Amino acid sequence: MSFQTVTKMLLSSFTLNCQLFFITLILSLPLGLLVAFGSMSRVKPVSLLTRFYVYIMRSTPLMLQLAIVYYLPGIVFGPQYNLPKMAAAALAFVLNYAAYFSEIFRGGIQGVPVGQREAGEVLGMTKGQIFFHVTLLQVVKRIVPPIGNEVITLVKDTSLANFIMVKEIIAMAKDFGNRAMIWPLFYAGVFFLVFNGVVTFLLGRMEKKLDYFR
Amino acid sequence: MAILDVKGIGKRFGATQVLKNISFSLNEGQALAIIGSSGSGKTTLLRCLNFLETPDAGTISVRDQIIFDAADPATQRESEVRQKRLHFGLVFQGFNLFPQYTALENVTLAGRLREKDRGKWPAIEQQGLELLARMGLADRAKHYPYQLSGGQQQRVAIARALALQPDVLCFDEPTSALDPELTGEVLKVIRSLAEQRTTMIIVTHEMAFARDVADQIIFMDGGLIMEQGDARQVIEHPREERTKQFLARYQEN
Repeated sequence: MSFQTVTKMLLSSFTLNCQLFFITLILSLPLGLLVAFGSMSRVKPVSLLTRFYVYIMRSTPLMLQLAIVYYLPGIVFGPQYNLPKMAAAALAFVLNYAAYFSEIFRGGIQGVPVGQREAGEVLGMTKGQIFFHVTLLQVVKRIVPPIGNEVITLVKDTSLANFIMVKEIIAMAKDFGNRAMIWPLFYAGVFFLVFNGVVTFLLGRMEKKLDYFR
Repeated sequence: MAILDVKGIGKRFGATQVLKNISFSLNEGQALAIIGSSGSGKTTLLRCLNFLETPDAGTISVRDQIIFDAADPATQRESEVRQKRLHFGLVFQGFNLFPQYTALENVTLAGRLREKDRGKWPAIEQQGLELLARMGLADRAKHYPYQLSGGQQQRVAIARALALQPDVLCFDEPTSALDPELTGEVLKVIRSLAEQRTTMIIVTHEMAFARDVADQIIFMDGGLIMEQGDARQVIEHPREERTKQFLARYQEN
C-alpha cells in the first residue's frame, strides 16, 4: 500500500479524533465552570455532590468510563437505549474533562486575592460586575497554562475511544499493523505532533496576549 | 454638624468580641485618626463602616439618616448596602488595585459601570485624569499597576476611592505596606486632602502624622475606645494610663 493511501486513510480516521477533541472542549469548559461553582457552593449538598462527581471522574480510568457510558445504558434499560459509539465517547470525555477543568477553575478563582473582590464591593459594584470586570481576566491569566496542559492531553486521549470501537487514527494504524505494516503506527504519531504543535502555538499566543499585566 | 454618627457598634468573631460598644461622631470636613496596637479592632471598625463586615450591634448614620441598624435587617439587604456603602470610600493597606487595568481605568471603572449612558463616559474619564493629576500622577495614567511603585499605586487607590465622591474617605493603614522612603509621598497626599477639608477616617501607626493631620484622635484597645479627643491633646497629653503606655512604646522606637 502506498504512502499516499495510508496518509489518506489515517487522515480520514483522524477527523474522528478532531471531532471528539472539539466537541469535548466546547462542552466540557462551560460544564467545568458550572461544576467549579457547584464545588464552591455554600449549599452543602451541592458542593458535596459536585465534589463526589469530581472524585469519581478523576479516580477511575477514562477507559473504564468510556466502557460504562457505552455499555451501561443497554445493560440497564435494554439494547435500544445504547448510545452511538461517537456520542458515547464524546459524553464520557466531556464528563471526565469537565471534572479536571472544574478543579483548575476552582483553583484559579480561589487564587484571586479577596482584596480584589472587596475593592470592587466598596466601589459599589454588583457581584456580577465584580466577576466579569474584576475577577474573570485574572482567573483566565492564571489558568491558561494548566488548562493548556489538559487540552494537550485531550488531543492524545481521543485515541482511547478505540476502546469502544471508534475507528480513530490509532485503531486504523493498528489495522495496518495486523497486515504486517508497522510504520503507519509510527506515522500516526506525526498527526498528533502536528495537531499539538498548533495547539501549543495558540496557547503560547494566549499567554502572550495576557502578558500585559501581572 | 455631624456627617457621621456611629452608635454602640459591636462585632464578634466566633468567641472573640473584637468591637465593644463603639460610638463616635465626625463633623464634615474633619479628619479622625484611629490609633492603637494591632488587634485592637481599628481595621474591623473601618470594615464595618464600609459594609465589609456586618456589626452585631449598633447603628451607623450619615447626615442624620440611619444607613445601618444591626436590629433592622432591612438595612442589610444587598442592593441597599450597595448604594449605602458609597457614602464611604476605602483605601486598603495593600492597595488592591485591579492589575489588568491602567491607573486611569482603575479610577474610572466603577463610575463607568454605574453610568449606562456612554455619552457621559468622557466626563468620567476627564474627572479621573483630574484626580490622578491631584495625586501627582498625571503622567502615569496609562501605566499598569505593576509598572508603578508602591507609593504611586497607593495614590492611584486614593484617586479611585475619591472618584465616587464619598462623604467619608477611610484609610486602613495606608502606608504600612510601603518602604519608609515611599510613605512620605502618600502622607503628603493625605495631608493635602485634609487641607482641602476632606472628611476622613485614618487608621494609622504614624503618630506624628496623626497628630498633625487629624482634628480628632481615637485610641482603641481591646475592641474599646479608650480615649478620644483633640488630636494634639491625645498625643501630647494623654489622660488614660493605657494611652500613655502605648505612646511611650512608640517614642522608644
